[in-house]
Amino acid sequence: MSYLLKIAFKNMFRSKLRTLVSIVAIAFGVMIVVFARGLIVGMVDKVFADHIHYNSGHIKIIDRDYQMRERLLTLNYPVDGLGGRGVEEMIAAMEALDKVELVIPRLKFGALVSTGDKLVSMSGWGVDPEQELAFTDLENKLVEGRMVRPGEQAVVMGTALLKKINRQVGDKVTIVFNTAFGSVKGVTFTIVGRLESGLKLLNEMVFFLPLDQAQTLLEMEDQATELLLVASDPKLVPQVLPEVKTFLAAAGEAGRYLALSYRETSDLIPLMDLSELMFSYVYLIIVLLSCVVVVNTMIMIIRERTREIGMMAALGLEGKNILQLFVIEGAFMGIAGSLVGAVLGHLITAYLGKVGFDYGEALSAMDAEVLFDTMFYPVASVGNAVFAFLLGVIVVTLACLFPARRAARLQPTEAMRAGQ
Amino acid sequence: MALLELKGLKKVYDQGKIEVPALRGIDLTVEQGEFTTIFGPSGSGKTTLLNLIGCLDTPTAGTILFDGQSLGELDKKELALVRRHNVGFVFQSYNLIPVLTAYENVEFAIRLINKYDKREIRDRVMGILKAVGLEGLENRRPNELSGGQKQRVAIARALVKEPKLVLADEPSANLDSKTSEEVLAVMAKMNRELGTTFIFSTHDPLVMDYARRLIEIRDGLIAKDQRREQDAVLN
Repeated sequence: MSYLLKIAFKNMFRSKLRTLVSIVAIAFGVMIVVFARGLIVGMVDKVFADHIHYNSGHIKIIDRDYQMRERLLTLNYPVDGLGGRGVEEMIAAMEALDKVELVIPRLKFGALVSTGDKLVSMSGWGVDPEQELAFTDLENKLVEGRMVRPGEQAVVMGTALLKKINRQVGDKVTIVFNTAFGSVKGVTFTIVGRLESGLKLLNEMVFFLPLDQAQTLLEMEDQATELLLVASDPKLVPQVLPEVKTFLAAAGEAGRYLALSYRETSDLIPLMDLSELMFSYVYLIIVLLSCVVVVNTMIMIIRERTREIGMMAALGLEGKNILQLFVIEGAFMGIAGSLVGAVLGHLITAYLGKVGFDYGEALSAMDAEVLFDTMFYPVASVGNAVFAFLLGVIVVTLACLFPARRAARLQPTEAMRAGQ
Repeated sequence: MALLELKGLKKVYDQGKIEVPALRGIDLTVEQGEFTTIFGPSGSGKTTLLNLIGCLDTPTAGTILFDGQSLGELDKKELALVRRHNVGFVFQSYNLIPVLTAYENVEFAIRLINKYDKREIRDRVMGILKAVGLEGLENRRPNELSGGQKQRVAIARALVKEPKLVLADEPSANLDSKTSEEVLAVMAKMNRELGTTFIFSTHDPLVMDYARRLIEIRDGLIAKDQRREQDAVLN
C-alpha cells in the first residue's frame, strides 16, 4: 500500500496547474460550507436563545386558559400559586425540584402612551431585575442608564420605543393601562435605561418595570402571568418536564396550569430544525459541485494515463490496486483542498462572527412578536471546521470512485493499445 | 518440463458484426532459458500471441500451460498474480512511470511481490541497475534519461523480480541501431547469467540476429520454427 501512496502523492504534481485548480475548487466549496454552517448555527442558536430568554425559559408555566389569549396580554388568567397561595411559595417549591436552577416570574400587560397626537401601544413586563439580568443578555443590550430596581417607579425601554414616544433616558413618561379588575390607571414613571436590540419586540414594544411595582399597580399581589423555569442544562428539559408535570399534578394543579417545553412554544424552532436539515443537503450539494472539477480532472488523468494503467496491470497490479491508486490521488487533493477551505472558512467565519450581519432593513416588515434578531453572528467552531473538512475529504474521495472504477476495469491489452 | 506449452491456440476478436481471427491454431513449446524471436508482418498475430502468453488476454480456444499450470483455469486475480511473480514485460515505448526515478520504477515491480525486506529490495534493485549499466543514474527520472537508458530501466524492471519469462514487444523499435545493440546485449547477458526465458516480438533483423530460435508467424499460424545452435552475434 505504501508504494501506492507514494505514487499517488507524486502523481499529484504531474500537472501542477490542474491539481491546483482542483484543490482551489474543493477549498472554495469547503470554505462556503464552513461559513454557511457557521451562519446557520449562529442564526439557530440565536433564535433558540432569544426564544428561551424572552418567551419561554426552558419550561413555561401558564394558566391553561391564558395560552389561547396570550397575545391579548390578558390579566384574567394569572399564575397565582398552588391553590391560590401566591407565586412566591410556588417558585420556592419548584426551585427545590431536581435539576431546576431558577424559576423566573413575569407579569405581562398591555399599556398605552400618548404622544399628544397619537397613542403608542406597548407591552409592559414586570420582572425581577436581578433574575432577568442573570438569565437573559439584557445587560449587553442596555446601552444607556441602568436596569430598574425593585420598589422604584421606573422603566427601561428600547431605543425605537423611546423614539416613538419622543422620550429619552431621564425623562418621565405617563403610562396608561388596565388593572386586573378592569379599571383604567395612569402612572408616571422615570425612564432609567435604554435598550438597543436587534429584536423588534425589545426595541419597539416592551418596557420593563420592577415586578413588585407591576403587581401593586395592576392589583395582582403575589401573582404573575407566567413562570419561566430554567434547568441546569437545556438538554435536561425532557427529564425535567415530566417532573414538573408530576409536581403540578401532586399539587392538584394539573388541570389548571400548563407546563410547556421551549420547543412547544415556538413556531420558529420547528422551522429552524427543518432549515438545519435542508441546509445539510445544501452543504452536500456545494461540496458535490466542487467535486465536478475533481471528477473532471480524474477523468482527464485516467485518459492520459491509460497506457500506464495497462503497464501497471501487466506488472501484476490488480484492478483493486489501480482503483486505490486513483482514489488515493483524489483523496490527497480532497485533503489538501478541504484543509485549506476549512482553515480559511474558519478564519472568515470568526472575523464575521465578531462583526455580524445586520438584516434590519430586510426584516423591518416582520411582526415584532416574532423573536428573530436582525443581527446575525456566524459561529466559528473547530467542530464546524472539522465537519466541513471531513465532508470535503469523504465526498471528494467517494466522487473519485466513479472515474477510478473505469480505470480499474480497463483490460490491460486495451489500455496498452491506447494512444498507439 | 517445458516452460510454455501452447496447444491449438486460437484468438478471435469480435468487432461488432465482424469476427477477426488473430490466431488460428498455434501449437508451440518453449523450454526454460530459450532466447526466442517471433517475427512476421504487421497483423500476423505476434502481439496477440505475446499477450496470451503473458496472461494479459484470454484465448478463444486452445490451452496454455505455463510452468505446468493451465492458464485457462485461472481467474483475473490469479492471472494478475502469475504476471506479478513470473512474467516480466519490456515494451516498445518503455512505459516507465514518469514521476518515479529509475530506482523507484524498478523498485515498484519488486515491491508488488511483497516477499523481500527493505534491505533486500535495495540490494536487488541496485544490483540489477548495475547489471544493465545504469549505476549512478538511479536517481534520474525518465525525462532525464536517453531512449536506450529508459529501455534499460524497463529491462531492469522486468528482471528484478527474477521472473521465469520476459516478454519483449518490439523492444528496439524506438532505439537507434547502436542503442538497440546495447540493449539486446544486456538481455542476452541476463539470459545467459540468470537463465531467464526471453520471447521477443519484432521486425528488427538485429533482434533476430541475437535469437537462437526464430518463429515466423503468418496469418495467425506458425509458418516457420527454426532453431540454431548459436546466435549470429554472440555465438
